[in-house]
Amino acid sequence: MIELFEVTKRFGAETAVDGISLRVESGELCALVGTSGCGKSTTLRMINRLIEHDGGEIHLDGRPVREFDEQALRRRIGYAIQSTGLFPHWTVARNIGLVPRLLKWPATRVRARVEELMALLGLPLEQFADKYPHQLSGGQAQRVGVARALAADPDILLMDEPFGALDPITRESLQAELRDLQARLNKTIVFVTHDMDEALALADRLVVMRAGRIVQQGTPLSLLRDPADDFVASLLGGEDRGLKEAAITPVSERMQPLSPRLLPKARVHQSASLRQALSVMFREQADRLAVVDDEDMAVGELSLRRLVEGRRDE
Amino acid sequence: MTSEVPPDVGRLMRWRAPLVWLSLLMLLAAGMAWLTPLFHWVEPGARQVIYPHGDFLVLLGRHLLVVSVASLLAVLLGVGAAVLVTRPAGRDFLPLVAQFASMGQTFPPVAVLALAVPVLGFGTWPIIVALLLYGLLPIVRNTLAGLEGLEAGVMEAARGMGMSASQRLLQVELPLAAPVILAGIRTSVTVNIATAALGATVGASNLGAPIISGIVNGNTAYVLQGAVLIGLLALCVDSAFERLQRGLGHPGR
Repeated sequence: MIELFEVTKRFGAETAVDGISLRVESGELCALVGTSGCGKSTTLRMINRLIEHDGGEIHLDGRPVREFDEQALRRRIGYAIQSTGLFPHWTVARNIGLVPRLLKWPATRVRARVEELMALLGLPLEQFADKYPHQLSGGQAQRVGVARALAADPDILLMDEPFGALDPITRESLQAELRDLQARLNKTIVFVTHDMDEALALADRLVVMRAGRIVQQGTPLSLLRDPADDFVASLLGGEDRGLKEAAITPVSERMQPLSPRLLPKARVHQSASLRQALSVMFREQADRLAVVDDEDMAVGELSLRRLVEGRRDE
Repeated sequence: MTSEVPPDVGRLMRWRAPLVWLSLLMLLAAGMAWLTPLFHWVEPGARQVIYPHGDFLVLLGRHLLVVSVASLLAVLLGVGAAVLVTRPAGRDFLPLVAQFASMGQTFPPVAVLALAVPVLGFGTWPIIVALLLYGLLPIVRNTLAGLEGLEAGVMEAARGMGMSASQRLLQVELPLAAPVILAGIRTSVTVNIATAALGATVGASNLGAPIISGIVNGNTAYVLQGAVLIGLLALCVDSAFERLQRGLGHPGR
């Protein structure tokens, strides 16, 4: 659990972070969003003390971060950044094993952990262990960066726009992987991004920052439906907010049992989003879809009316 | 017979250039007398055409010793100073050190010799001081450039992963900056091999001695003998450095 109490950071005359309070529960993925220079990265980096805060307190599981030894604190917090920061003169395996080695794990344990992580992140050992960072694609390098952050099995993971430099397809697949990983590992993650779709797709809690302050925080759904002001509304997509909500709501949530009527030809997978369902309807000029499972068997149906008005029953 | 080269031979092959220069240098230093007819042709009027005051091998050894001592001190001082002023505690001194190093380079070695002799007396020490000052700049400048030019993300990650300052310096900063630092050392050493000849003017006996003596006595053969040996030594050391730099270029580059 990470708690920030009235945390402030000034750079000279400028106040980068202005008395923010925030509580990230264990196992929660908290996304900090906002325009450039709003203080979200500064906030993140104050947690592992890459930047020291000027005022207020930051607690890790109830203990002020200032009480930790600086190096020991960072070794128990995973850290992944946009530029990956992989050491170019080290192999992939050596890069991943960095923190365990700093923690003086025995060599055999380090090796076993590296193998485990490479398997976890879909990097075949024999293919990647001895490669150097410059031989990797952007997505592979970022996977190695995440593996390195997870190496010593930290409870907390700080991620500063980790997927910001990737092409949209790689980014989406890495986002999906992070979601799967999080479902399995249940880390406490603070995630900085300015990609709103990414934040909405990944976050349990969304924190909107502006000029060093928190404007609003809550679940993605609550912010989409009830933005505190015009700034939050426009940051979340303005008039596109409806589509953004549809994008994070699965079809299975609005699906109805099969009716005796003729099954429509147009179909959508049950794990697809309402947005995708809407797109299929638009493309197929259909107002009713068959919802199918992995075997392409119909498990239900979804009408346009139900899709749009489904919330009323909630 | 297989066409594959055994690894030992392969390693030796990569050092071919420095080894060729080295054998030429040693051959010439040991057997300068064999070239007597050639030097008679260069300097027909002279009675003595091979520099008589000292064995060339000994002069070469002394030359090398002076350059080595001066370069070793310059490396220790130069790299040490550049590392210190790139640490948070020493950053205030960065402009001072950079300026001091460039001053050392602009100050002519001859002037350093002239100033050093009254303090250190004649002999080897004044030239070591002059070479040290003169050789400092390329080393300091390149070490600074190497350390300052590291990718910000790499340094951020090194800190964020919980590496201590000394771990960052020894495992990340110096290895990554090494090729640039070595290039500076190479420049410094090569230039100093030539400059060391000036030591002969203040009584240091090295490969500069035949040159100075040749100039004083109007004997071109002496000058040539000193100059050729110094040139070969410089080529030998320079190509060895080139080899070293290539070996240092880690596969991650």
